[in-house]
Amino acid sequence: MAQPFSGVRVVEVGGTVAVAGATKSLSDYGATVVAVECRAGSEVRRLGPFPDDVPHLDRGAFHLALNTGKRSVALDHTSASGLEVLGALAANSDLVVLHLPPGEARRVLGVVARLGDDGPTTVTLAVHGLDGPFAERDENDLSLFAWSNRMFRHSFDGQEPLRYSAQVATLQWASTATAVAASAIWGRRRDGVRRQIEVGGVEALAGNVDNWFVPWSFTGADTPRPAGLSRAVYPNGLLRATDGYVSFFAANEPFFSRLCRGIGHPEFATDPRFTDPAQKPAHFDEFMGYLREYLSTRTRNQVFLELQSHGVMVAPVLDVGESFEDAQAVARGSFVRVEQPGVGEHTLAGPPFRLDGAWSLTPAPALGEHTADVLSELGYSAQEQIALFRAGVTG
Amino acid sequence: MTSQLLAGIRAIDMTEVWAGPMGTSLLGDLGADVIRLESFPRPPAISRPLREGTAVPGDGPPYERAGSHHMANRNKRNIAVNIRDDAGAEVVRRLAAAVDVLIEGYSAGTIEGLGLGWERLHAINPRLVMISMPGWGVDGPYRGYATLGSGLDATLGHMAVRGYPGGPEDQVPVMYHTDATGAVGLVTAVVAGLLRREETGEGCFIDMSQAEAFAWQLPALQAEWTMHRRLPTRLGNADPHVVPHGCYRAAGGEAGAVAWVVIAAENDAQWAGVAHAAGHPEWAEPPHPWASVVGRLRSRAEIDAALAAFVGAGTAEEVAHAVAEAGGIAAPVIFHIGLMTSPQIAHRGWLQTVDHRYAGTQTLAGFLWQVDPDAPSWDLACGLVGEHNHEVLRELGYSTDEVAALLERGAIGDRYGQ
Repeated sequence: MAQPFSGVRVVEVGGTVAVAGATKSLSDYGATVVAVECRAGSEVRRLGPFPDDVPHLDRGAFHLALNTGKRSVALDHTSASGLEVLGALAANSDLVVLHLPPGEARRVLGVVARLGDDGPTTVTLAVHGLDGPFAERDENDLSLFAWSNRMFRHSFDGQEPLRYSAQVATLQWASTATAVAASAIWGRRRDGVRRQIEVGGVEALAGNVDNWFVPWSFTGADTPRPAGLSRAVYPNGLLRATDGYVSFFAANEPFFSRLCRGIGHPEFATDPRFTDPAQKPAHFDEFMGYLREYLSTRTRNQVFLELQSHGVMVAPVLDVGESFEDAQAVARGSFVRVEQPGVGEHTLAGPPFRLDGAWSLTPAPALGEHTADVLSELGYSAQEQIALFRAGVTG
Repeated sequence: MTSQLLAGIRAIDMTEVWAGPMGTSLLGDLGADVIRLESFPRPPAISRPLREGTAVPGDGPPYERAGSHHMANRNKRNIAVNIRDDAGAEVVRRLAAAVDVLIEGYSAGTIEGLGLGWERLHAINPRLVMISMPGWGVDGPYRGYATLGSGLDATLGHMAVRGYPGGPEDQVPVMYHTDATGAVGLVTAVVAGLLRREETGEGCFIDMSQAEAFAWQLPALQAEWTMHRRLPTRLGNADPHVVPHGCYRAAGGEAGAVAWVVIAAENDAQWAGVAHAAGHPEWAEPPHPWASVVGRLRSRAEIDAALAAFVGAGTAEEVAHAVAEAGGIAAPVIFHIGLMTSPQIAHRGWLQTVDHRYAGTQTLAGFLWQVDPDAPSWDLACGLVGEHNHEVLRELGYSTDEVAALLERGAIGDRYGQ
């Protein structure tokens, strides 16, 4: 069986974390992705960590993780000559995914548009979209998150709002682009329509899962940020076991009853002190006393296994080292090893979804590793390639 | 009519809470005919409250006014079926025989226990694409375990690294990022399954662990461990290689009584923008020690203090606007009113006005992408319980009398708590 996106030709332009993330799954599930990168090495190659803390354009963690299986062409797409090469690449592709400053993006989209209805579908990433009063602003992962309203909500009342781990917001935006790009590939096969798609970063984040937007809309009042563990709806949140924290979501039925059984107090499940919404807040300390007593003699993992056996939604808060040793991750092979030239054996996350024979992981390319091959395939002669190289267009 | 990228695809949504419902709404946004199969007679524990407490104001029963429900159940039809009743299970089987895709989000193993596992459904409909999306995947020692998104951030090391420098893990609320990740990941998985079916002529089964669907978003965290056996420490909003990269308290502004601004400069040019906006262009001129990347790294505390003073003198909007206009990176840390009043959001026409029978006319968050020529549209508001029972069952070949009998028997329903 072929990989699902086998035969799909994708051109990626911009070299950012967002655009590299957007085409990663297409590549790992079978598409041929040509990454057009600036000759000096773009953003995704400049982010660490690096092996032994030595910066190197071919060894950064984001490049190794996000450029898997791609071909790399080093090209100055801002020059007329580079734009011509990009046009030739686009003419031989099904999909162009780009993330560039709006002016550059419009030039590239103009080149693609000249290919007419037979040209590739385009997916353009822009934090604020390509038009509007904020379109030209420089942003990064932190400011994207701030604009998206996620940062404010994911911190306690009165505290400094907190971001997610580095580039998580950006990669969420990227995977939003993947979803619509994949759908556009499918749609084009069915109806032949060339589509131009834009994925705004703020819109991609703010439009997704949000527990507070709808209540705001309906009531006109923002739900206050929590000040800590809820004393009315409990136990939800992080609680300490002997060796660290456990994440609880057990306030709602049927989970609360199960929790009561799990900690040896089945009678609490029908005790109005803990079940009547009017009485429950006054008995927070009392209930938490029983729960903390239970937690005080158990590790995170003991709590996890015991309470899950009762059907309670709890999970241990693991550090990233522990996440690799987690029994489930080990049993499923959630992390895989790839032999990366210049680096050696490197560990990466496995498939985001599992379909027999659909996913494979191959190393990330060196910068410009495929420039000559790709240009030859496009029909550029050896002498023409030398001319482009001498003029500083390719690398 | 909404976007037509997935036009002609029929899908059943048997998921709860956020990741699955949101993902299947996205399929609807893209033109698929999505039928939400609602739990009946027991309402979903979280998204269909029987009491007013968590419902938004309005008329009609509270379970039709759950906040989260409206966003994550648009562009779907709704049928409510008792799948533990023989006749109800038969409805699901007939539905499975008629659709392209079935998505379920029960704890691993539950769907098999209901007699609706992959083997059974594949026999009924050999061209069915089935996606199971339990938190930790369909097999392994955690098979059958229950979780929300907060449990997945916990086991992947993400929750442990969020927090303030030197502080413990529990200084931040639990997070639900994987719900958003699972939603968009589901769309890609559906397309992959359809492409596979196109190639082989056969349906296929996809095992989507919501934890694994998120794990690839953490390459920096993971590489610190795999490359160096180092555990990243909690850094707050700081970046080890970029100064400034922080969040600062502003004077009260439009975004609220307490407002915050993030400011960052990834390079010298952006730093010059920050310095100009702060009224100190000399900060970016050599030989000032802050003019260089390394100089700024060595002066992190001093720069943070200087920017805190600068930000504290203005409102969040004023400060962010001034820095951005000057070429630095800055954004107010907005919440919903910030989206509602953003000139950019207004320019893009992003917000959606939605009518709902019981909740009235509301403004809700917009779509995740713009598509030309076939733009997404909010054609169907969140379905009422069993709103499309009759319509969908008639399409499956049930007569009007048979639908009435199913309702009478309680195999299908259109209200809770009776």
